[in-house]
Amino acid sequence: MNNDKHTVVGKRIPNVDGYEKVTGSAKYTIDMVLPNMLHGKILRSPHPHARIVRIDTRRAEQLPGVKIVLTGKDTLGRKNGIWRSYRELCDEEILCRDKVRYVGDAVATLAATQEDIAEEALSLIDVEYEILPAVFNPLDAMKEGAPEIHDGCERNMNVYRQIEWGDVEEAFEDCDHIREDTFYCSSQAHACLETHCAIASFSHDRKLTLWTSSQSPYYTQVLLSDMLGLREGDIKVLKPHTGGGFGGKLSLDSAQYCTSLLSMKLMRPVKIVLSRAEEFAATKRRTPIHYQLKLGAKRDGTLLAKKVRAITEGGAYTALGGTALYLTGFFSSFPYKYPNFQYDGFRVYTNNEATSACRGFGAPQANFVSESQVDMMAEDLGIDPVEIRRKNGMTPHHEIPDQAVIQSCGLQQCLDAIKKYIRKRGELPPNHGIGVSAYGFMSGGIFNWIDTPYAFSAAMVKINVDGKVDLFTGATDVGQGSNTTLTMICAEELGVHLEDITLHVGDTSVCPVDLGAWGSRQTLMSGNAVKMAAAEAKRQLLEVACYYLKPNIVYDLNIKDHWIHFTERPYRRVSYFDVVKDAIRGKEGNPILGYGHYTPHGKGMVSPAYSFGVQAVEVKVDTETGQVDLVHITTAHECGKVINPIGLEGQVEGASIMAAGWTLTEDMQTRDGKIINDNFRDYKLLLAEDVPKMTLLEVDTYEPEGPYGAKEAGEGLTIPTGAAIANAIYNAVGVRIKDMPITPEKVLRALEKKAAEEKDSEQFVAAASA
Amino acid sequence: MEVKCPVCNKQRNSSMKIARHIFGTGDKSHRGWVNSQGVSFTDLLIAQAMEAGNRGFTTLAEIIERVQETA
Ligand SMILES: [Zn+2]
Repeated sequence: MNNDKHTVVGKRIPNVDGYEKVTGSAKYTIDMVLPNMLHGKILRSPHPHARIVRIDTRRAEQLPGVKIVLTGKDTLGRKNGIWRSYRELCDEEILCRDKVRYVGDAVATLAATQEDIAEEALSLIDVEYEILPAVFNPLDAMKEGAPEIHDGCERNMNVYRQIEWGDVEEAFEDCDHIREDTFYCSSQAHACLETHCAIASFSHDRKLTLWTSSQSPYYTQVLLSDMLGLREGDIKVLKPHTGGGFGGKLSLDSAQYCTSLLSMKLMRPVKIVLSRAEEFAATKRRTPIHYQLKLGAKRDGTLLAKKVRAITEGGAYTALGGTALYLTGFFSSFPYKYPNFQYDGFRVYTNNEATSACRGFGAPQANFVSESQVDMMAEDLGIDPVEIRRKNGMTPHHEIPDQAVIQSCGLQQCLDAIKKYIRKRGELPPNHGIGVSAYGFMSGGIFNWIDTPYAFSAAMVKINVDGKVDLFTGATDVGQGSNTTLTMICAEELGVHLEDITLHVGDTSVCPVDLGAWGSRQTLMSGNAVKMAAAEAKRQLLEVACYYLKPNIVYDLNIKDHWIHFTERPYRRVSYFDVVKDAIRGKEGNPILGYGHYTPHGKGMVSPAYSFGVQAVEVKVDTETGQVDLVHITTAHECGKVINPIGLEGQVEGASIMAAGWTLTEDMQTRDGKIINDNFRDYKLLLAEDVPKMTLLEVDTYEPEGPYGAKEAGEGLTIPTGAAIANAIYNAVGVRIKDMPITPEKVLRALEKKAAEEKDSEQFVAAASA
Repeated sequence: MEVKCPVCNKQRNSSMKIARHIFGTGDKSHRGWVNSQGVSFTDLLIAQAMEAGNRGFTTLAEIIERVQETA
């Protein structure tokens, strides 16, 4: 591929909405105020498991300024869930009618003229609960006699998923060395700067408009339609700028649902903004997982068989946990060519906040345990950690039986780049260590959860008489930069300048359907739709241009810098603006419209494409305190053709730090089901001062399924950091931490244990030789 | 030796693989068949999750073999 051919793609383009964001003029849902707007609040359960005996709302209703109080009895009693075809997995009422299942479950909602009145009114709602026994650990929840969290769900088994190819049992018999290890991956809050929020406005024509902070306005529209009994077309979802999502704004949430209910009753706009404490307690979170891994290898390091058993803590509801359960299994095989693989995953309900999608969608957990174990295997066999990865690593055109075909794959080049970096780094200071982890991730999921008949992504391009272009897409920018990426793709394909394009996003009434921002899907899937729409509009212009330029049929025309020209003889040209005018005249005055869509077909079960990378993290361990400091993060990465290098760098840096925080400091501590560190003082996100120097080593690949050869570069980058840190700690001080988060206390205890074992061993040798 | 799923007739080369298939499918008819054999689908699945080894699935594999022999 000749990169020089591109005029926009591959260039360092600042975010198209960057100016608004850095100057503070960008408007988020949280900033918005509508005329005549009321303020809503939600009363949440203080109990992890209880039956609602009675709710008395009278005192709250009598408070001056309170307009209405609603409970589950005022709803249609439907249950929300993204797997609409599997009703048993639609299990969340959102506003509970009979029973609460975690601390934070919503039991009532109200609207008042002022936010402080609404807050005061919450304390005036009297709820009588019959407290039920609760269970917080999935291992306990499966035991006979454990409290049944959902009626009829025996022993709280929510979802079971399996993946298998080859014959692991036979293969283990051929192995020279087998390791069996257990690991635990902890939870993580999405910690978006903008908490969940919504403003709903229901009008007398029975149409609902919802402004909200969402990763998928289309899912919000569809799920609200189910829950409210309205037609999809009667609900318009508008998404202003969004202050982060990370998987947490994909499900229908309590702010969206309760504002809609309140507004439908009052015919007035109602706004709800979740507090930071509610954001921690009552949204969703990363799935904690217990793993048992069995890994078998030949003496030369060939990995022959792998068996994975995972028990995931589901919390109170299914949410998107079934997909996290499947993907943690699928990505447990990455990025290696295991000839034999078996996965059994069990998702179990507990009386905690539900777990769901969180950046990486189960893959960071899989990678933490798998890449820790690969390092342990390498050490057992006396093989260099990079070399064992090279020996088994995926290569282009690798097929995973019944699951996926990897087309482009630059893993081996990434390993080369990391090896070179480590060699160049040379000898490390005392208590420093470098750990390595290799990974791969999907470019969007082939998962039609909501059973939509629409294409997964669609876009429309409209060229107006002045040559300006309107790009309509349902893709969702939640801060990851898809607005810029898609505008760049449109400009490249049409041959116009970025400033010629006006982007229209975040409005379900005018934008074509797109499934939204999850599974790292926007660049490949929405990008393909935009490219197709632009190409269709361009084709119509070139048809008209042929009348001017009269090319021989063997010649191609192209558009660049507002000229339509012979591709090979650019001096033979006609003005883009003139052609646009004539094209519109020729269409009886209608603008030029191009429509594009993308849905993966024949691409296996998981994704149409996969990105790969290898990360090396250098840490410094303080052996007196157990404190782990990040010294340097180097990521060798391939994501096909890089559309916007600035966007890619932002994703690498943000993802690595989010993953490092999950690994080292972020710990959702609970007592009897209540999250006790539900604020940014006690929940320890990494801060700017914790961020080490980072280096990105970009490896060139080309993905045939992606626009201009591009594939994902978003969630995947959260995957390798956890294992790389764990491996670096082992490399630095010789202790292996297998349960997250890797706190100073755990490191210190492990160092003490290691010292005691070494002392015992010395005494034994001394006694034996005496 | 080919072993058939007693519910949907899917064929695999061992009773263990058919047991895995039955748990993996897990729909009403497969679940119902397991429960009709005097064992509990959920209990066996949970045994598989919680215990070392493969007791949950081997128990079902043995039942499948017995049924196949008597068929
Ligand atoms: Zn069957």
